[in-house]
Amino acid sequence: MASNRKNAKFDIFTKIALIFVIAIIILLVLLPLANIFKFAMDPGGRVIFTDLPKSLVDQEIVKNTLKLGLTVGTLGTLLGFFLAYTQTRIEFKGKRILHVINLIPIISPPFALATAVIVLFGRSGLITRDLLGLRPTLYGYPGLVIVLTLSFFPVAYMNLLGMMKSLDPALDEAGSILGANRWKIFKSITVPLLIPGIAGSFLLLFIESIADLANPLIIGGGYTVLASRAYISINGDYNIPGAAGYSLLLLIPALLVFLIQRFWSQRNSVISVTGKPTGRINPIKSGPIKYLLLTITWFVSILIAVVYLTVIMGSFASIIGVNNALTLEHFRYVLSGFGGDSVKTTVILALIATPIAGMVGMLIAWLVIRRVKQGSQILDFLGMLGIAVPGTVIGIGYAITYNDAVRIAGYTIIPQLSGGGAILGGAIVIVMVYVIRSSPAGQRSGIASLQQIDPSIDEASASLGASGFRTFRLVTLPLIRGAFLTGLMYAFAHAMTTLSPIIFLVTADTPIMTQKILAEADQGRYGNSFAFCVILIVIVLTVMGLINLAVRGRKTTSYKPLAMVQ
Amino acid sequence: MKAKTGRLKLTNLTKEFGNGSDRVIAVNNLNLTIEPGEFVTLLGPSGCGKTTALRMVAGFENPTKGSVQLDGVDLGSLSPDKRPMGMVFQSYALFPHMSVYENISYGLKVQKMSKTKIREAVGELLDSMSLEHLANRAPNQISGGQQQRVALARAMVVRPKVLLFDEPLSNLDAKLRAQMRIEIRSIQRKMGITSIFVTHDQDEAMSLSDRIVVMRNAVVEQVGTPDEIYRKPNSVFVADFIGRSNFIKVESVKAGKVGTAKIVVVGKELEVAAHEKAIASSEPVLLLRPESVQVYAAKKASSTGVGQGKVKNVIFYGPHVEYTLTTNQGEITAVVSDPTFEEIVHIGEMAEFTFSPERAWLLPSDAEHNQEIH
Amino acid sequence: MKKIKLISVGAVSALVLSLVAAFIAPANAATDFKGAACALEGSVKTIGGVTYLCSRVNESLVYGEGRKLSGTLNVLCGAQELWCSTMTTAFQKKTGITTKFVRLSAGEGLTRLIASKNNPEFDIWHGGPNDTYIAGRIAGVLDTYKSPNRAMLIPAHQDADGYWTGVYTGALGFCSNTNELKRLGLRAPTSWADLLNSKLKGNIMMAHPGTSGTAYTALYTQVIRLGSENAAIDYMKLLNKNVLSYTRSGAGPTGPLGRGEVAVGLVFSHDCTAAKLLGNPVVVSFPSEGTGYEVGAVGLVKGAKNSLAAKAYIDFALSAEAQNLGPDKAQSFQVLTNSNAKANRNMVNLKKLALVKYDVEAAGTAAAALKKRFDAEVALTSSAK
Repeated sequence: MASNRKNAKFDIFTKIALIFVIAIIILLVLLPLANIFKFAMDPGGRVIFTDLPKSLVDQEIVKNTLKLGLTVGTLGTLLGFFLAYTQTRIEFKGKRILHVINLIPIISPPFALATAVIVLFGRSGLITRDLLGLRPTLYGYPGLVIVLTLSFFPVAYMNLLGMMKSLDPALDEAGSILGANRWKIFKSITVPLLIPGIAGSFLLLFIESIADLANPLIIGGGYTVLASRAYISINGDYNIPGAAGYSLLLLIPALLVFLIQRFWSQRNSVISVTGKPTGRINPIKSGPIKYLLLTITWFVSILIAVVYLTVIMGSFASIIGVNNALTLEHFRYVLSGFGGDSVKTTVILALIATPIAGMVGMLIAWLVIRRVKQGSQILDFLGMLGIAVPGTVIGIGYAITYNDAVRIAGYTIIPQLSGGGAILGGAIVIVMVYVIRSSPAGQRSGIASLQQIDPSIDEASASLGASGFRTFRLVTLPLIRGAFLTGLMYAFAHAMTTLSPIIFLVTADTPIMTQKILAEADQGRYGNSFAFCVILIVIVLTVMGLINLAVRGRKTTSYKPLAMVQ
Repeated sequence: MKAKTGRLKLTNLTKEFGNGSDRVIAVNNLNLTIEPGEFVTLLGPSGCGKTTALRMVAGFENPTKGSVQLDGVDLGSLSPDKRPMGMVFQSYALFPHMSVYENISYGLKVQKMSKTKIREAVGELLDSMSLEHLANRAPNQISGGQQQRVALARAMVVRPKVLLFDEPLSNLDAKLRAQMRIEIRSIQRKMGITSIFVTHDQDEAMSLSDRIVVMRNAVVEQVGTPDEIYRKPNSVFVADFIGRSNFIKVESVKAGKVGTAKIVVVGKELEVAAHEKAIASSEPVLLLRPESVQVYAAKKASSTGVGQGKVKNVIFYGPHVEYTLTTNQGEITAVVSDPTFEEIVHIGEMAEFTFSPERAWLLPSDAEHNQEIH
Repeated sequence: MKKIKLISVGAVSALVLSLVAAFIAPANAATDFKGAACALEGSVKTIGGVTYLCSRVNESLVYGEGRKLSGTLNVLCGAQELWCSTMTTAFQKKTGITTKFVRLSAGEGLTRLIASKNNPEFDIWHGGPNDTYIAGRIAGVLDTYKSPNRAMLIPAHQDADGYWTGVYTGALGFCSNTNELKRLGLRAPTSWADLLNSKLKGNIMMAHPGTSGTAYTALYTQVIRLGSENAAIDYMKLLNKNVLSYTRSGAGPTGPLGRGEVAVGLVFSHDCTAAKLLGNPVVVSFPSEGTGYEVGAVGLVKGAKNSLAAKAYIDFALSAEAQNLGPDKAQSFQVLTNSNAKANRNMVNLKKLALVKYDVEAAGTAAAALKKRFDAEVALTSSAK
C-alpha cells in the first residue's frame, strides 16, 4: 500500500523537480563546500588544524568567535524575548510603531549600524562624548556585541513574537485558576513552552554572528574572529588553503549548532500548539515588571530609531558631528556614475534572484512535505544549508570553485562563473549566492504553510487526473501563495543586504551596493556610506511594499479580532 | 456529602467592552444565586455573554459593574489565582510540556503541598477517573476524551469551591460527549462542588443541570430547572432554543383559572397553561412540543381533533414517527410514539392533529417580553 | 513585385556600402592624423574613433600611431574611489571605450590578479604603491608596456622594463586630530618613537599591511630605517600596543581620526590633507628620522583581454592632463609624476622632507613573506594581548 502510494507520487514532474532541486543544491552549496574541504586538506590548510593545539593565536581566534557568537546569541535572544513579551503582554500606546522600528534592522545592511553606532557612541560619539561625557572604546568586542545584537535581535523577536501569539492564552488562564501567580505562570508555563523558540533563536543568532564579516572588518579592532581571519588569509596573504582551513573551522560550529537546533526542534515539535487560541491574554496592568519591560522596549526602540536617524542625517551632513553643513554631495556621488551603476546592478540581480529563490524554496518545501517519503529530512536539511553555512565560507567556496571552469575528466561541465573574466562579468555567481542565501526563508515558510494544508487536497487533485505539475501549479502554489510572497519579500531584503559572500565575488561588471557601502565606510567616508544605506533601505521598503500590496490585494484573509490575536 | 460552602451570588453583574461608539455590552445586569453543590448551566447562542459571565466569575474579566460573592464575601477584583475555583477550558488548556501527572499535580505544587501528599491526592484521583495508566503520557499522546478527563481531574484536584466549565465538550464527538456528560455529572455530585457550565448545546444543558440560565444578547431570558425551561419557557426564543417547537397563532385569549388561559385556536376553545404575561399580550402564541401532538388519518373523525393538514413528510424512526403537516396554522411537526403500521398516515394524505391542552403552553409574543437589540 | 525587388536590392547595397565606408573611414583617419601636429605633449585624443597620443618627435609635437579601440576596459584601481571614478570616467569620455573599475586595496587587488591569472578579469592596474606592482611582477600577473609618455617622468618613477610606471608619489605621514592631541596633552608626533608614547595607547590607527599598500609601505619603511626585518617586526609589536584597529584600506584611518575616535593615524600625507579639506580637524606631521614614500603606479595586466585599450589608458594615465584631474576633480593631492603636471599648494614638498632610502625592489620582493610575518607576529597577537 505504502509503496503504491509512493510510486503514484513519483510522476515525471516530481522527478524533474527533485533532480532540479538536487542539482541546485549541489551547484550552489555542496560543490563549493567540497572545494573548501579539498583546499583545507592541502598542507597549508591542514596546518591550521594540526597547529591548533599549540597555536595560541588561532585558539584565541576560535575563542573570540565562539565568545562573540554566544554573547550575541544570548543578548539578542533575551532582547527579542523581552520585546516580544512586551508586545504580547502589555497594552501601551505606540505599540505598532515600536514593532515596526524593531524590524528596521532586518531590511538594512547590518554594518549600516556599525558606522552609525561609532558616530553616536564612540569615543567622540554625539551621545557618549557630547551628552554624557564618556569615552568608551567600541572597537573590538564591546562594539561588535552592540552592533551585532542590534542587527540580529529582530530575528529572535519575530520568531518569539509569532510563537507567543500562537500560544493558547487559556494555558495562562489554566495556570492562573490553579493558583499560580504571574511569575509562576511565566516560569512554569510561558518559558518552557517557548523553549524551542528561544533555543532556535539563540542558535540562529549564534550562526549569524559568527558568520558576519563586515562588522569585524569595520569595528573589530584587534578582536579577530574566524571570518575576518579567513578574509585576511585570502585577501591579504593570498593563502587559499589557509582561508579554506579557517572557513572549515568556522563551518564546524555553525553546522553543529544548526544540527542541534534541528534535532531540538524536531524533538520538541510534539509541543506544537494545536487548535486556535481561545481566551484572551490578560495584559500586565501594573507593577514594576510592566515598567521594567516598557523601559527596555522603549530604550531599544529609541536606540534603533536614533541609529537610523543618524544614518539619514549623516547622509545629508557633510561629516556628521564634525561638519554638520547640509549637503546633497553624498547622494550626488552615490547616484551618479559608478555609484548609480551599483544601485542598478544590485537591484537587477536581486530582482532576478528573488523569484528563483522563492520557487526553489517552495519546490523544496513541496517535495519535503508532499512527495519525498524517504530522505525528506535530508532534503530539508540540504535546502537549509544556504543559511547554515556562514556567508564568508560560501563566498570563499564560490571564489575557489567558480573562478575557473569546473571540469570533470578534462571536459568542461560548467564554464567559469565568477570573476570579471567570466560570462556576464561574474553576475551569475552573485545571483547564485542571492538564491542560495534567500531560498531557505521561502522553504521554511512554505513548509510551515504546507503542513497546515490537508494533503488530501493534493490527493483530490491527483484523483481528478491532474499531473504532478498541474497539482503543484494549480493547487499547491495558490494555497501557499501567502507564504510564497512573504518568502519573496524576505528573499529580496536578504539579497539586497547580503555582503559576506559578495565581498569575494564582485567584479568591475557587477558593482554591488553592500560592497560599496563597506568600501566607503572602510575608507572613512561615512557620508557616502550613509547615503548608500538610505537608498538601499528605500529600495527594499518599496519592493516589500509592492509585494505586500500584491498579497493584500488578492489573498483572502479571515478577519481576526485583535483581542483574539494578542 | 454535600458541601456547605460554595454559595455563589452574582449581583447586577455587567461587562462592557470598548468605549464610545465601539461600546458593546457583553453581559447586562446578571443576577443569580447558585446554591452550594448546585450545577448551573449558562445556555445560549454564541455571543450571548455566557462565556464572559463565566470569565467574570473566574476573575479573568473585571466586571464593569456589579459583584461576585462567594459565601458572602465579595471577590472584587481578586485575581484568578486567589479565587478558590477550578476551570475546565474549551481547548482543555492542558500544559503540553507536562505529563498527565504533572498537569494534574500542577495546582497542588503551586500550593506548595509536599510531594508525598501530591502523589497521594493525584494518585487517588487518577485511580477514580481510570487515568492511572496514562500518568506519564504527554497530553498529545492521549485521546480527546482522555484529555477532557485530565482537564477535569486537574481542575478538581485542588478541591475548589466552584468548578467552572467553558464549553468543555464541544471538541468531542457525539457519543463521547454523551458519555462525558454522565461522567462529569456523577463526579460533580460525588464531590458536591458548586458548578457553572457554559454551553450552547441544549441537550448538554438539559442532561447536566440542576438549573439552566438561558441567555440572549447579554441578558438572562430565563432561569429554571430543565423541566421548567422545557415545559414553561418564558419566551418564544427560549422555547425555540430548547427543543423543537410548534407555535400556533391564538385567535383570542381570556384569563382562566390561576396559571391558565382560555383561548380559541382553530375555532376551538381550550383552556391551557399560560405564562403570566400571556393574557395581557396582544399576540400570544401557543407552544406545542412535537411529542405532544397526535396525528390521525383525517377520515377517522375525532371529537378531540383540533385541526387538519396535509402530510408533507413522514419519517419512520422505529420507536416513533415524525410528521410534517401543512395546516392553516403553518407547518406543524409531530412526533408520534410507537404507532401501529395501520396508524401511519402517508405523504399527501389528509391528517388530523390534536393535543391535550395540559401539554400546551401559552406564551406572550417575544416583542413584548424583551426589547430586542438586533 | 519588381518594385519591391528593386527597393530591397537598393537597401541592401546601401547597407553594405555604409558598412564598408564605416570600416574604411577610420583607417583613412589614421593615415590622416599620424604625424599631424598637436598642441599638448602626452595628451590622448580620439579622432574618428581612433585614439592618438601626442608626443614629441624631433622637438615638434605630432600624433603617433593611431589605435582603433573597441570593447570595454576593466580597471583594477588601488587609489581612492573618487580618484578611480574620475580617471576612468575621463578616459571613457575621451575615447568612448566603456571603462569600468573595481576599487581594491593593494593586497586585495594583487590577490584578485593572482586568482584570475588564467583568465584575467582586469586589463589595467592603476593606483597603489609600486612595491605591490613589483610583487605582482614576481607573481607573474603584470606585462610590460613602455608608454612614450614615460619621457616626461624621472627614471626613478618608472620600472626599467615597463612593468609599472609611476603616476603619483606620496610620503607617509602622521595624521593627528588636533582636538584629541589637546585632550591628551600631546603635540603632533614628529618621530617614529613618538608613536610609542604610552599616552597614545589605543589611540593610533593604521591599515593592515596584508590588504593595504600604504600599511605595507609603513612596514617596510621600518625595515629600511631599522636595518632588518626583525627590528621592523619588533617595532611594529611595540606600536601594536597603541594601535586600536587595523583598517582594510590605507586611507581608512582618516574617517575615525576625523571623528576623534583615535588621535593619530599612520597614512599617506595626501589622504590626511584630503580629510582636512573636507573639514576634519586634522594636521599632518612627519617623522624626523625619515619617512617612507610610495610611487603610485599604473601597469598592464598580463593577458589583458583588451591590451590595445589598456595601453592607451596607460598613455592617458601618464599624461599631465589626466594627472591634473587628481587635485582638480578628485580631492587627491599626491605629488604628480609628469613633469608638466601642475603643482598644487595642498601637495607635500617631498624635497623638504627627511625620506628613508626606500628600496622598492627589495620591498616588493619581501612583500609576501613579510606580510605573513606581520600577520602572525604582530596583528594577530593584538587579539591575544
